[in-house]
Amino acid sequence: MGLLFREKETAPCTVTISHRFEELSAHVRLDNGAIIHPGDTVQVQGPEIMAAFGEMIEEKRTAVITRASKLEQMWTRATGDLEFMELCEFSFSEEVMS
Amino acid sequence: MNMHSSDASTAEEAIAAQEALPPLTNEEATQVAMSNTLLTPRFYTTDFDEMDAIDVTPVRGEWDKLIAQMKSDPNKGHFKKNEDWDKVDWDGMEPALKAEFIDFLISSCTAEFSGCVLYKEMKRRGSNEDITTLFQLMARDEARHAGFINDALREAGIAVNLGFLTQAKKYTYFRPKFIYYATYLSEKIGYARYITIYRHLEKHPEHRFHPIFKWFCEWCNDEFSHGEAFALLLKTDPKLTETWVNRMWIKFFLTAVFSTMWVRDHQRPEFHKALGVDPEWYGQEVFRKTSDISRQVFPMVLDIDHPRWKPTLRRMEAANVQIAQGRKQGGFGGWLKRMTGSAKAGFAFVSLLTIPVEKSTVPASPRMEPAY
Repeated sequence: MGLLFREKETAPCTVTISHRFEELSAHVRLDNGAIIHPGDTVQVQGPEIMAAFGEMIEEKRTAVITRASKLEQMWTRATGDLEFMELCEFSFSEEVMS
Repeated sequence: MNMHSSDASTAEEAIAAQEALPPLTNEEATQVAMSNTLLTPRFYTTDFDEMDAIDVTPVRGEWDKLIAQMKSDPNKGHFKKNEDWDKVDWDGMEPALKAEFIDFLISSCTAEFSGCVLYKEMKRRGSNEDITTLFQLMARDEARHAGFINDALREAGIAVNLGFLTQAKKYTYFRPKFIYYATYLSEKIGYARYITIYRHLEKHPEHRFHPIFKWFCEWCNDEFSHGEAFALLLKTDPKLTETWVNRMWIKFFLTAVFSTMWVRDHQRPEFHKALGVDPEWYGQEVFRKTSDISRQVFPMVLDIDHPRWKPTLRRMEAANVQIAQGRKQGGFGGWLKRMTGSAKAGFAFVSLLTIPVEKSTVPASPRMEPAY
C-alpha cells in the first residue's frame, strides 16, 4: 500500500438481493476473502441489479476494490467516528424543508 | 380495479396483488426516490479483532436467555397484513402530510435497511460465535421491518431503488465502542419512539391516519431486545461505561442523539399535527423513557428538566432552519447564512453539553423487559 497512492484490485463477489414482503435486504460478499479496510471503496461491476418485488436474486459479479492510501486510511480511521450519527435510525433522511 | 396488497390475507397474496399492479417505475416515484436518496445505506468497517475478543462470560446466563428468546422469534408472525390493515386513502391525504409521512417511511426503511447491512457485515466478518449469532438475529429483524415498510411505500406508489449496489461504496470506520453506544441508544430510543406513538394512538384512535401504527407495539419489542443485547455487551467490559473518558463519550452520545431527534422531528410539523402530537411533548416523553431505560447500563442521565435544556434545543432547531434556508438561497448570501447557522447550532450543542448530568447507579444485572 502506498502512502499517497491508491491501488486497485478485483475480486469475485456474490450479490444477494431480497426484495420480498418478508425481507428487504441487499448484500455484497467478496468471495476471495478480501478484507475491506477503512477508506477503501468497493464497486460492483456491470449493469444495475434489479430485483422485482417478490424476488430474491443472487448474482456472481466482479468487484473493483480501490484501496485507500495509507494516509487516507489513517484519516478515515481518525475521523470516521464523527459520522456516527448515521447509525442512529432517525438521522438518515434529508430534511423536508420546502 | 386490481386487488390491493392491503386486502391480501397472506404475504403470497400480497405479492401477487402487487405484481398485478402497473409497474411503479413512473417518473414521479423515481423522482421521490431520488430526492429522498432512497436506500443509500452507508458502509462501515470496524476493528473486527477487538469485536471478536468480546467475552460474554460475565453475563453468560442472561446472554443465553436473551439469545434463546430472539431465536424463538416471537414476532415471526407479526409482520403480516391482516384485517387490521385498513385501506389507506393516499389520494385524499393532504399533500403536505403525505410528503412528510412518506419521508418518515423512507427514512425508517433506510434505517432498518442500513442496520441490516451493518449487522450482516459484522456477522460475516466476525468469528466469535456469540457475537455473530447476535448480529445474524438482528439482521433478520431489520430486513423484516424494512420489507414491511417497503410494502407500505409501494401502496403509496413508491418503488425502492437498490441501484446503490453497483455504485462505488466507500467504507468508513467506527471504533467498536462507538458502535455499541450509538446502536444501543438508537435501538432504545427507537423503542421509546414507537411505543410513545402507539400508546398515544391507543387513547386517540381518531388520529391514526395510517394502519402501520397499529404494528408499532410488537415492532418496538424487537428494538427493545436488540438494545438489551447491546446493554449486555457494554456490561462485559466495565471500562466501557466507567472510565472518565468513556463517561464523557456517553454524555456526548446522549446529547447528540437527543438533540438530533428534536431537530429532525420539528422538520415534520404536518406529520405530528395529524398524529395529534406536540413535537416538544413527544421529544421530552421519548427522552424520559430512554433515560429511564438507559440507567440499566449508563452511569448518568441527562437533566432534561434543566431550565436551559428546552430553550437551547429550540435555538438549535432555529439554527437548523437557518442552515436549510441558506442552502436553498445559494450564492454568497446563502453561504454566509449557512455558516452563521452552523455556528449557532454548534454553540447550542456545546451549551447543552455544559448542563450537569444526573448521576445514577447502575444495577448489577442490566436486563429489563419492555414496560411502557
